[in-house]
Amino acid sequence: MKEGSEGHTFKAYDGALSDLRVRAQQMGTLVAQQVETAVRALLNADGEAAESVLTREHRVNAYQTEIEAESFRLLAQRAPVASDLRMVLAISRAVTDLERAGDEAKKIARFALASASRASGGPSRVVRKPLRHMAELACESMRVAIAALDRGDAQVAHDVARLDREIDQEFEAALRQLVTVAMEKTRLLRPIFDTVFALKSLERIGDHAKNVAEHVVFLVSGADVRHSGAGRDAPARESQH
Amino acid sequence: MQPGTSTQENPARPVPTHAVEGRLTTPRPSVEVGKRSTGDEQSLVIKSRAEGLSFYYGNVRALKDLNIEIREKRVTALIGPSGCGKTTFLRCFNRMHDLTPGTRYEGRIMLYPDSLDLVGRGVDAIEVRMRIGMVFQKPNPFPKSIFENVAYGLKVRGVRSNARIEEQVEQALRRAAIWDEVKDRLDNSGLSLSGGQQQRLCIARALATNPEILLFDEPTSALDPIATARIEELIDELRDQVTVIIVTHNMQQAARVSDYTAFMYLGELIEFDNTSKLFTNPSQKATEDYITGRYG
Repeated sequence: MKEGSEGHTFKAYDGALSDLRVRAQQMGTLVAQQVETAVRALLNADGEAAESVLTREHRVNAYQTEIEAESFRLLAQRAPVASDLRMVLAISRAVTDLERAGDEAKKIARFALASASRASGGPSRVVRKPLRHMAELACESMRVAIAALDRGDAQVAHDVARLDREIDQEFEAALRQLVTVAMEKTRLLRPIFDTVFALKSLERIGDHAKNVAEHVVFLVSGADVRHSGAGRDAPARESQH
Repeated sequence: MQPGTSTQENPARPVPTHAVEGRLTTPRPSVEVGKRSTGDEQSLVIKSRAEGLSFYYGNVRALKDLNIEIREKRVTALIGPSGCGKTTFLRCFNRMHDLTPGTRYEGRIMLYPDSLDLVGRGVDAIEVRMRIGMVFQKPNPFPKSIFENVAYGLKVRGVRSNARIEEQVEQALRRAAIWDEVKDRLDNSGLSLSGGQQQRLCIARALATNPEILLFDEPTSALDPIATARIEELIDELRDQVTVIIVTHNMQQAARVSDYTAFMYLGELIEFDNTSKLFTNPSQKATEDYITGRYG
């Protein structure tokens, strides 16, 4: 994210805002890694990868606590206005979505761990293809949203919204397939349920990525598109490149 | 300039219909003077309007073709860096510059509903000051009693009845939220009060003549935070009674007390908008840089 070309008269204020952005970017990168690793663990029955996701989960939570505390301090001590205020609010909102995306990655990793240790039947084979596709879309949408947050680029809100729609469509299609299988083969209900939860987690990760992109639109333009359905046609009238 | 317009081209909002090549010609009023419309943004009456106002200290042009509408019974804040002309502009409203030799006005400041040009030739400056009160940066009570400070303007206005003067002095002191603190010592010197009380006494003095517009020139810059809060609370209460224009260097004060904010720079009006809009999403980069502390 770019700030005013002059920089603040208070250099410490510049430093604090810059630090906030850097930490949000670090958190976003970590969450994107968590999602990718969890998905890889699930698709490859890789218990070690799943373990690493669960081990790193506390770092995601720590980032959220730190960033929100720093945002709170900046609001209290610096009383930011205009683009500074929007940035603090947008980052504060974005880290909530990032933390929840991290939680979804944790859920996927737990399923992957159980699958790898044979405690669970693993993802239902009939949806491996849509599961893989959803995983790719979810990872991409999170990466794009985080890059947009870093650059203050509201244009990509369209891209993330499109990815989210694709994820939703894949989710609906996979659910229909799973319902059919569940009716035919009731002995597979357990792995089917587990798979539905994994799919739902990926669908939620897509939602959180879209939310992050909407926060970027707010940061850049001041427009709140969260409930307007405008995320798909966000007023991404400028970029902070 | 109506709220929500600026003197620079802004792709984010439509250019006002009266804008010509980025400069504003005499703007059409957003509402008919003296009439109220029902639209949210347009439901206010215009109390005053500067039209093509320029002001000169000798050969120095301190104000450059200002166009701005002041809404009735609302608080309008003027902000901008030192030397931008905000105090100069404020002082035009009650002709304070008349006391300085070599100054001159161009353009008009219309006062409604009388359609009186406040800076027009032939308009009595004393009469203007009766209708446009002013409170200064530093409290400046007269070296007289508290009562006499407030009664002064009434006497100048020719009020002779002691009963009426007493009634209006009490009313002014109550409106200035200082009555309870001074009602038992009205004969004491105004200078015996604390700084914050002196400033509220000056506000009472200004209110005594029932001004149509009250001008505040950095009214809290010499006060501590508690006294500042009381003055701000008082301005908030006065909002329903009188049109207020306030010059302040304190961004947060402008954000707290005003309904509209005008940002000035180098004698020009850069942006004028609802305060909430200007402090969350200003249209002009110069405004953004100033209010976020990136100016200079």
